[in-house]
Amino acid sequence: MANYFEGPRRGRRRETLLAGVFLLIALFLFFLPAAYQGPVRSLIRSTALRPFLVAQAQLSDRRSRAVDILELRAERDSLAAVVAAQATLAEDNRRLRELLGLAARAQPHFRPAEVIVAGVPGAESTFLINVGRRHGVRVGSAVIAAGGLLGVVKELDEDVAQALDWTHPDFRVSAMTADGEAYGMVQARRGRFREEDLLVLTSAPFHSDIRPGTWVVSSGRGGIFARGIRLGVVVGIEEADTGWRKSYLVRPAVRPESVTHVLVGVYGEGEGRADLSELWNVVAPPDTVTVPNNGASGEPRNGSARSSTEP
Amino acid sequence: MMVGPGWPYWAFIGLLAAAHFTLHLALGLGPEAPDLLTVAVLLAARNTSGAVAAAIGLVLGMLQDALSLVAFGAEAVTLTVLGYLGARSRDLFLGESLGFVGLYLFVGKWLHDAIYYTLAGPVLRGDAVVRYLIMAPLAALYAAVAGVLVLMLYRFATGER
Repeated sequence: MANYFEGPRRGRRRETLLAGVFLLIALFLFFLPAAYQGPVRSLIRSTALRPFLVAQAQLSDRRSRAVDILELRAERDSLAAVVAAQATLAEDNRRLRELLGLAARAQPHFRPAEVIVAGVPGAESTFLINVGRRHGVRVGSAVIAAGGLLGVVKELDEDVAQALDWTHPDFRVSAMTADGEAYGMVQARRGRFREEDLLVLTSAPFHSDIRPGTWVVSSGRGGIFARGIRLGVVVGIEEADTGWRKSYLVRPAVRPESVTHVLVGVYGEGEGRADLSELWNVVAPPDTVTVPNNGASGEPRNGSARSSTEP
Repeated sequence: MMVGPGWPYWAFIGLLAAAHFTLHLALGLGPEAPDLLTVAVLLAARNTSGAVAAAIGLVLGMLQDALSLVAFGAEAVTLTVLGYLGARSRDLFLGESLGFVGLYLFVGKWLHDAIYYTLAGPVLRGDAVVRYLIMAPLAALYAAVAGVLVLMLYRFATGER
């Protein structure tokens, strides 16, 4: 039989065998459990890809410096006015707390960070930020932009973290309406294109009637996200599961493609118990639960308030 | 025995990979920048053995996968397969003309996207018909044109035919 292939047959077999070994390695990586994939990704990001990540961080930094000076001055003046107005309130608050023997209310600390976008298919709905473990960021830290919640940190390196934005199919946040009337879960409703993505408030009680224009914020349940972070505005009902629950479409407060700078929660363990309602003027009363007191009559307690006022 | 290309060709392949990460990572461009990584693997595969081409695909695929939270390993598998098939394609088709290379890159990139979409599955946006029959051929055409242009530049710079 004629040999249509170049080279001896044995060499060809060895070549195919070797290629098969490389394919097995690739398949091994593909089926590797998520917990083991992280260190591999981290190693590659911090070595071979580091120059590219640093380059984008520097470019982003330069771009932000080029922002119109007049715009910055206007923002500075507004902030100065707000700070001046609140300075006396903060001082009064501190003195009263000292008199009552209460510690300062625990608030999450935030670090500013720049968003690094990787334009590859596998990185869709994710982004990198130029702060990491060294700066106190943890897996589960909330990533907040000026308008509200952008995402959550999923993976950490020393100086870089990778986060999911709200368009990711795995993104969930326990939510409520800003007036506290209805609770549910917020998740992404993906469109054909990124610009079509919306959020949806699921599992809202069937009797609830949430009007379009109502703000939806994080409820603080579950201990991942702080309470009171803006998620979006209800635009209409999506689905009514007869007799059980309703789903509402929510226009997100933040579009991921337009964000360049964010704040990342570095508070860690207690971050989810914190209350950020004041940041966005959320008026809802804190979530209340009835906790039996040693089997005695149930005394209503205020979970969020308790955590935020404990000494 | 096959005589491989000289170091300038491999430097060219390396530059293509670096350019890919510069565009997609350092500059943060998405589909508006061509997939030069697949072009690099396909061009490398035409000038080396199947095993080496698969190894190049594996390494470059792992680099790209380092940014993927949702489909880690999918790019490594895809480029490994593509590298091997690209090398074996020499047994079926011979040709160095720009038209042939353009067609080879177009088919290769379309195959790449088909394998990748199949592996990555539901985490990707859009329905299958749009992905396989609209997005993939468009991306393949873009990559093929970009690949032919950079190959022309390379040939012009080195005087190779």
